[in-house]
Amino acid sequence: MKAAKFDYVLAESIEQAVAALAAGNGDAIIIAGGQSLMPMLAMRLATPATVVDINNIAQLSGIEAIGGEVVIKACTRQATALASPLVQMRLPLLAKAISHVGHQQTRNRGTVGGSLSHADPASEIPLAALAMDARVSLRSVAGTREVALADFFLGPMMTARADNEILLKVHFPEEPDGPDGSRMGTAFHEVSERHGDFAVVAAAAQIQLDANGRCIKAALALGGVNGVPRRIPALEARLRGTRIDPDAVRAVLPEIADAITPGDDQHASAAYRRRVAGVLAERALLEAVAEAAP
Amino acid sequence: MTAATGDAGNAGAMGRNLHYVAQKRRVREDRRFVTGTGKFVQDVTLPDTRHAAVLPSPYPRARILSVDTAAAEALDGVHMVLTGQQMAADCNPIRLGLKLPEVKWYPLAVDMTRYAGEWVAIVVADTAYIAEDALALIQVEYEPLAPVIDPEQAFAETDLLVHPGHGSNVLYHGHFLWGDVDGDFAAADDSLSFRARWGRSSTVPIETFGALARWDAGTEILDIWASIQMPNFVELLASTLGYPLNNIRLHQDVDVGGSYGVKRGIKQSVLVAYLARKLRMPVRLIEDRLVNMAGGDAHGPDRIFDTDVAFTNDGIIKSLKIRALDDAGAYPGRAPFQLAKPISAIVGPYTINSVKYEAISVATNKTGQVPVRGFGQAPTNYMIEMAVDAVARHLDLDRLEVRRRNLIPSDAFPYRIPSGSDYDSGDYHTVLQKGLDLARYDELLQRRDKARAEGRLAGIGIATCLEPGGGNNIFEYLMDPTAEITTFMEACEVKVDPQGRITGMMGTTTSGQGHETLFATILGEELEFDPDEIRIVHADSLSALPTRSPVASRMAIMLGGAATGAAGKIKDRAMAIAAFNLDRPAADLEYSGGTISDRNDPSRKLTWAEICFIAYRAYHKLPPGMEPGFHAQFVFQVPGGGQLPDARNRVQIYPCFSFQAHIPYVEIDPGTGKVSVLDYAIAHDCGTVINPDIVRGMVIGGLAHGIGAALYEKFAYDGEGQFLSASFADYLMPSVHEIPDVKDVEHCTPSPLTSHGQKGSGEGGYLGAPAAIASAVNDALHPLGLTILELPMRMHKIEALINDGSG
Repeated sequence: MKAAKFDYVLAESIEQAVAALAAGNGDAIIIAGGQSLMPMLAMRLATPATVVDINNIAQLSGIEAIGGEVVIKACTRQATALASPLVQMRLPLLAKAISHVGHQQTRNRGTVGGSLSHADPASEIPLAALAMDARVSLRSVAGTREVALADFFLGPMMTARADNEILLKVHFPEEPDGPDGSRMGTAFHEVSERHGDFAVVAAAAQIQLDANGRCIKAALALGGVNGVPRRIPALEARLRGTRIDPDAVRAVLPEIADAITPGDDQHASAAYRRRVAGVLAERALLEAVAEAAP
Repeated sequence: MTAATGDAGNAGAMGRNLHYVAQKRRVREDRRFVTGTGKFVQDVTLPDTRHAAVLPSPYPRARILSVDTAAAEALDGVHMVLTGQQMAADCNPIRLGLKLPEVKWYPLAVDMTRYAGEWVAIVVADTAYIAEDALALIQVEYEPLAPVIDPEQAFAETDLLVHPGHGSNVLYHGHFLWGDVDGDFAAADDSLSFRARWGRSSTVPIETFGALARWDAGTEILDIWASIQMPNFVELLASTLGYPLNNIRLHQDVDVGGSYGVKRGIKQSVLVAYLARKLRMPVRLIEDRLVNMAGGDAHGPDRIFDTDVAFTNDGIIKSLKIRALDDAGAYPGRAPFQLAKPISAIVGPYTINSVKYEAISVATNKTGQVPVRGFGQAPTNYMIEMAVDAVARHLDLDRLEVRRRNLIPSDAFPYRIPSGSDYDSGDYHTVLQKGLDLARYDELLQRRDKARAEGRLAGIGIATCLEPGGGNNIFEYLMDPTAEITTFMEACEVKVDPQGRITGMMGTTTSGQGHETLFATILGEELEFDPDEIRIVHADSLSALPTRSPVASRMAIMLGGAATGAAGKIKDRAMAIAAFNLDRPAADLEYSGGTISDRNDPSRKLTWAEICFIAYRAYHKLPPGMEPGFHAQFVFQVPGGGQLPDARNRVQIYPCFSFQAHIPYVEIDPGTGKVSVLDYAIAHDCGTVINPDIVRGMVIGGLAHGIGAALYEKFAYDGEGQFLSASFADYLMPSVHEIPDVKDVEHCTPSPLTSHGQKGSGEGGYLGAPAAIASAVNDALHPLGLTILELPMRMHKIEALINDGSG
């Protein structure tokens, strides 16, 4: 468990980082918190020619509210995001998700952008961000582009980010309670054998109800059931415009079955993941509705 | 974790007024571990040390057609690449516990690999980084073969053999019959059968194995520092390397970062010793976690029990028929003996009249099994407790009541069990009641029933288990009558220096059990000196007295006995010097804190300083014939041991039997199958507690270990023999989040066989917790009519049982 030889670049600016990535010709990798990459390097599962350290780039840290969005810069620590009043008040689903990420010690190092870039199919931040219709900004020497999370995850540990791009920030649309009395409710449920493990299955729900308790918007995302975190659009569509009660939730749960393709491993069978996806989805939807209820 | 009140193992029951034993005193080792000043193998630095890395086989079973090391050897900074063939040419096979001449175990695979992760080559380089770079350059040509993975298949298999020369995969197959089993079954009202499975788990210490060797060409001594906990280590090293025993000096003053059986390190140490001598450079191998879990000494018992139980309609258990099939993996080492130790407590704490025991050890294409905490007793205890619960369920009787009807009564000790052990002492009913009181059992029942009424799955576990302590390898003779070995000693030396300061020298390494505190406490007690002022050192193997190392819950009993014996000799010597100089018969003299005075005239006395001066400086004042100096050695044999089995294979194996009652409370999420251990009470009796904090740490740590074995930990293989649990992402150990607040209480039934009434305590929590958690989970599943008899009880298995009927 000793890393193979690599060149180390300590980038002091975003420009330096993208230049190093460009120079790496596809064989450079970014390190931020290192909570996944360091073990991968040590086990030689990753053997990049160059490691570009972005921890010193001040412009990559911080959380701010801009024009109806909360923007979290990529190198913001998970612990910082979790403690942020802005996140707690305006992005409650993200806060709930981060509380399940690893342990306090790993959250002190791990970053929001790193978790999205790493794209473990069972990790919590990608799941919440997907449910929240977030977007990411990516930058290379060629310029900056934005990608919706719905288009970002391509497979296990694979994203739309090109090798020469750095993830700059994540844009979360704010979903404030409306003056018309509409309210948002969120819930994040996961099951793992132990506290702090990657989820075996996870469910994130975000539900907006109008003043009369009718569903305006519904989002349900499931993790651990595919190579990528999955939204369940058919289920969401059936909830919109309805009053959501336990019977209604149970009625739409069968929509999950066709949207997921879980696999078997030593920790759970595909059948387990299917059944538990339904269980956690039901719990998350009902809890989100209860939170949103007028 | 809350401290519970209770009898802190008070040896007052021994009728002695104790000053240090059984008192709550600081554990002397804690300071160096807390302040980071412990010294582990990795902290030993020698100039010009080279670093080794090993190449694991990707195949569970494959012919090695060729190994090309040229590119690796050409890499800058590489000193040597050693293959299995080269190694085997220069060493003997590592000696196994059983005599299995065609099961040849070499440090590196020769011609064939027998498990995924087996070491095929080793590289020595300037740094561990370069050594790993070189591994990637070694070209091995394999011919993969079908492996044998399932132990039942391995048992029946005639073609697919792990060691073809051995002629079968069966390493051991023994039949034991104690008492009239057929008669008891025929006379019993009822019987039942079940299969229970103990998963392949272990202890997984935080420090992996490490060894550093240096060949001193001048003295022709091989110096070795190794994180071992193992009897016969140096003998095994010498016989494998073909060196005289007195050419090897094992430095035992390194701290060992956890073990509970698994720090064997023999193949690792053979390799570094060989390479250090060959290269004339110090060579170090520190296993990383991947290497340790896949190819080191990491895996414990992996056992299938098929048990028949005969009982009366009142729930009195009369007889057991047990078939135990254990998967030893590719190289058995001492693994088969883990089927034999449980013979010492084969009926648990119960009055079971007769037992039939069939023990089978098979080889498979998995990592070789090593000893783990309890040496096979934890799986057996689990099976026995599942039998008691099954009888209660079958008869619809309360599990507690069934236990009360079967527990050996306190007035029956010493109690002889069918397999020949005399249980030394015990008060099982009282300890169980203490546990129930601590758990507030009536409230716990209400809590469970309320949870059930609210639709939750809730259960209470009950386990009453034994911990044999003291050690004795007479079980080897049960398995191999040519192994006529009855000695299982432990020794120490005590020196009093010219200043009167006391130093105790023990002969082994220590891996966190607090032996230094134990040793100093007993010496302090016996010699009436503050234990904090007594120095404890670990002799190297050339200067150490005989030891069988800290295995088998034995050091409190054995090092305690040796220390008491040596202290007695010191006092005798002091008394002889005083008697001579005070011109009084020893019978008139009395020893108090080192000063010896005349009972009838206390002004006539000799102080400790005066005695020490005479011993070292005043030969003319020594009794005639007494050697100068002031030291004593004592070699202590296992109490009650030393006999071979009788014609019916009955034998006393372990001398002392500690007892525990576990009462956990769990709830299960029916949607996910996840078990939460919400409460845990344990009542524990290991006789006299020498240091309360050490025993409490053992109990609670062992209990956490047992929760891991019950719910999470498994070295898993797929059907093709690929190893799936090489890191802590897949081998799941419980953390503090999974362990509840434990309430614990001690009870003291002194052993009549030991120096201060002490018994073993290092294994106890672990020997009962898996059974207790299994009992609780099955109690929670009981309203659904379900049972699960397979450890670990992972959440996906429980969920499938509940929601899919498959398990």
